[in-house]
Amino acid sequence: MNEDKTEPASSINRRQFIIASGALGAAVLLPGGLLAIPNSIPDSKGFLLIDLKKCQGCGTCMMSCALAHSGEASYSLARIQIQQDSFTNWPDDVSMAVCHQCQDAPCVAVCPVRPVKANKPNPSEGNVRMIDPALCIGCKLCLVRCPFTPGRIQWNVEEQHSQKCDLCIDTPYLAEKGGPGGMQTCVRVCPVEAISFTTEMPDQSDEDSYTVNLRGRAWAKLGMTTK
Amino acid sequence: MTLYGYAGKILRLDMTNRKAIAIDTEPYRRWGGGHGMGSALFWDFCKNKTITDGRDPANVCCVVTSPLNGTIVPSAGGRCEVVGVGVGQYPISWYTRTNFGGRFSTMLKYAGWDAIVIEGKADRPVWVDIRNDQVYFHNAQDIWGKDTWTAQHDIRKLTGTKKGTKTKWQDLDALPQPENVQRSEEELGRTTQKPAILCIGTAGETQACHACLIHDAGNGAGQGGFGAVWGSKNLKAISVLGTGAIEVHDPKTLIQARVVTKEKYVSSWQEPDFQAWTRIGRLPNPIIQVAPPTSERRPQSCQGCINGCRSRYKVGYGNESACQETSWYGPYVRRVAKSRQEDTEINLKAADLVQQYGLNSFVFQTGLHWLEHLHEEGVLGPGRKIPSDLPWEKLGTLDFAEKIIHALSTRTDIGADLADGWIQAALKWGREEDLHTGALQFSYWGVPEHGYDPRAELEWGYGSIMGDRDMNLHCFNYIFTNVSAAFAFGKPLRISAEELVNLHARKMAPYAKDRPEVLDFSDANMYSEAVAQLVRWQQHYCRFYKNSALFCDLKWPDFFNTNVPDLDGATASADAGEQVFWNAVTGDNLSFEDGIEIGRQIWNLDNAIWTLQGRHRDIVHFSPYIYKTKFNKGELFPFYMWTTRDEQGEWHYTDLMGRSLEKDKFDEWKTIFYQLEGWDTKTGWPTRSTLEKMDMAFVADELQGAGRLGEEKS
Repeated sequence: MNEDKTEPASSINRRQFIIASGALGAAVLLPGGLLAIPNSIPDSKGFLLIDLKKCQGCGTCMMSCALAHSGEASYSLARIQIQQDSFTNWPDDVSMAVCHQCQDAPCVAVCPVRPVKANKPNPSEGNVRMIDPALCIGCKLCLVRCPFTPGRIQWNVEEQHSQKCDLCIDTPYLAEKGGPGGMQTCVRVCPVEAISFTTEMPDQSDEDSYTVNLRGRAWAKLGMTTK
Repeated sequence: MTLYGYAGKILRLDMTNRKAIAIDTEPYRRWGGGHGMGSALFWDFCKNKTITDGRDPANVCCVVTSPLNGTIVPSAGGRCEVVGVGVGQYPISWYTRTNFGGRFSTMLKYAGWDAIVIEGKADRPVWVDIRNDQVYFHNAQDIWGKDTWTAQHDIRKLTGTKKGTKTKWQDLDALPQPENVQRSEEELGRTTQKPAILCIGTAGETQACHACLIHDAGNGAGQGGFGAVWGSKNLKAISVLGTGAIEVHDPKTLIQARVVTKEKYVSSWQEPDFQAWTRIGRLPNPIIQVAPPTSERRPQSCQGCINGCRSRYKVGYGNESACQETSWYGPYVRRVAKSRQEDTEINLKAADLVQQYGLNSFVFQTGLHWLEHLHEEGVLGPGRKIPSDLPWEKLGTLDFAEKIIHALSTRTDIGADLADGWIQAALKWGREEDLHTGALQFSYWGVPEHGYDPRAELEWGYGSIMGDRDMNLHCFNYIFTNVSAAFAFGKPLRISAEELVNLHARKMAPYAKDRPEVLDFSDANMYSEAVAQLVRWQQHYCRFYKNSALFCDLKWPDFFNTNVPDLDGATASADAGEQVFWNAVTGDNLSFEDGIEIGRQIWNLDNAIWTLQGRHRDIVHFSPYIYKTKFNKGELFPFYMWTTRDEQGEWHYTDLMGRSLEKDKFDEWKTIFYQLEGWDTKTGWPTRSTLEKMDMAFVADELQGAGRLGEEKS
């Protein structure tokens, strides 16, 4: 059952034009070294940590993330992704996917937009890796380049651009200041505090270094393991 | 105009012709969502509202979300309402309701639908596959006959869902499509999520009256026999995968109110108050009535919940089960279990069984006592008057649990009779006396007493019999549980009786505002106008806030809250009250009282449907034992503590055991109730003047056409 869809007035917009005529072609034809900018990305000053054994699977972090950034509640627009399987036993029943704000940031390196990259560290906000939706040309290279599963970059279908976690810097629907110096919505709303914020960079050689134990002795009082 | 909080479309499923039809949500907006919207849809699309068996093809079953679903409104984001004519009640199966949690309503809204209206009957078993605006009917021959968990696994495979909990993003259009479907290459969305599936098990396929709808491992829509309704329509399952979004009117206020709820009203897990008296502010712990099987577990919740009431465990059983399904077998297990660990294991595995068969375990709450009584009396058993080959010597074992669940689900053994109703079976077996002695404690409309006996907990009993089922609304029930537990276990009484009733009354506008006497359940006050106002308030509050806006019954209302210095709970508060969340999501400017008024309108619409089905005040009565015997044995405690006033007007917590209801006085109380509602006191039917004042003349017209419009007060 298809609903009628309104076609855009022009069949080719600026974004599609750039993809077709230049940027994507460059990404395909030029040596990778010309696109990547190794050693030139300053470290992020903020990171999210998660406790996979603690999350209650309520999805509040996902919905809040989408609300704070887009004003809409959604799973697909959320920059944090929680997957769960009702028929799997603890602790393998839940996985939490947060952006690592990687030191080498392959999603930043691969961004072909010039002269100013669409995906880049924000020096005035703790070098958090951010995608500027106005600059994003929709080539999706960052989606492909993110090394994690599921990918930490989302494709915003409604607006046709990539997006990623910015630690709540660009949150027009948040009353308080977000970002490394402010609040992170997912951290603040999580009922069981299964997400936390740190300024200390986790070990970049260990994917699991972002997974920590946030339970502590108080958790044991509730009859749940702290191991 | 943007319908903030709503997806904007309602999906009609014409099962007979396997057609999907989209209609606009906007004409149903006045009813809020959930139950109210469902009643309005039933009113419009059920062409024969005199039916009294939900298995009639004319029955219309609506699965309805709320504007709050799929949002972060605390403990409201994940509920889902189901309405339609039920199955197996006595003497009439009313237009009724049930409700379940999990992810289904969220996913349905993200797919673009506010409700599903299921009409007609398929000629063969089918399952329905919803992916955003795409709706497919599939033959279900390969999953018919499978339990609810296996069926969901199979549907996941058929929809191309990846295994595991660390999977890649999937393009919705890249998933397997049915044959003969040509989809454009336009991307419709991406998701990391698994489809949300609502389905029936064996009990539903055989159309047994206790059949549920099950979603994921442990979300059951239990009452009403809607599993049988789906079975009668040859509908095995509905799977939904949505990648869209719901526009919220005021996201800032919504997030802020959510944070206030967490930081002000909820007990901090880091400094847990295990003795807290609150509803929204409880700790994230499973409400199971056995010891948890292991500490290797997590709390687990419905979408948007502020504190999960279930768990998933490493041991591999009991996942997502909570409350009654974990305790129905308890009294019998205790007789045979050799250790606490074994007790837990049998109870939780018995819970898994009812989830898999899709059977409402509540019938066992009092029903199994009765069956055992019949067996001990020599009436039920091999070669006896009521023939049964169930191994009663193994009562309390997992083996017996599976055999009786199997019998009831497959209509074999005693299940052949019980599957069409327990009162009906009692009458067939010549056991009418058991309705008078209380051997069979099915106290209202042929469904089991909930554990909160009507002779003590008046609002539960009166609310159930004035409605359509065991109401299962815990608005005030926490007086009993908090106070009785305090007495039983020597815990502190956190709030005095006088303070408690006053905390309630200040929030009970309009009917009981600052009238604490509505909570006086003493013998002198039990048939009063005050108690009638209490029952009205509860029904109207719940018809809107709980059943339509879909605030969770276990978390709302929050009248009193010991996490807050002044003990003033979240309900109706200016910073995190129900109306604050409703308005933030929808953009309405609703007062708390406005919500109660919408609830009154929904309650009137329901009564109109019951009236068309054949309701008359003469049949609005409890099972005879409620009038003929005294309440002497509690389910949880040997006493039943509640608030009462003495002759000097002083408030106390008092044990209400040892009394019965007087039939004549209850009948007089009904007259008071009907008068307050503006209904005909001779019949209990709605009147035109009452309906027209609520802009419901269309209801009065149909009642008049059927010759069932109430007479105006002369």
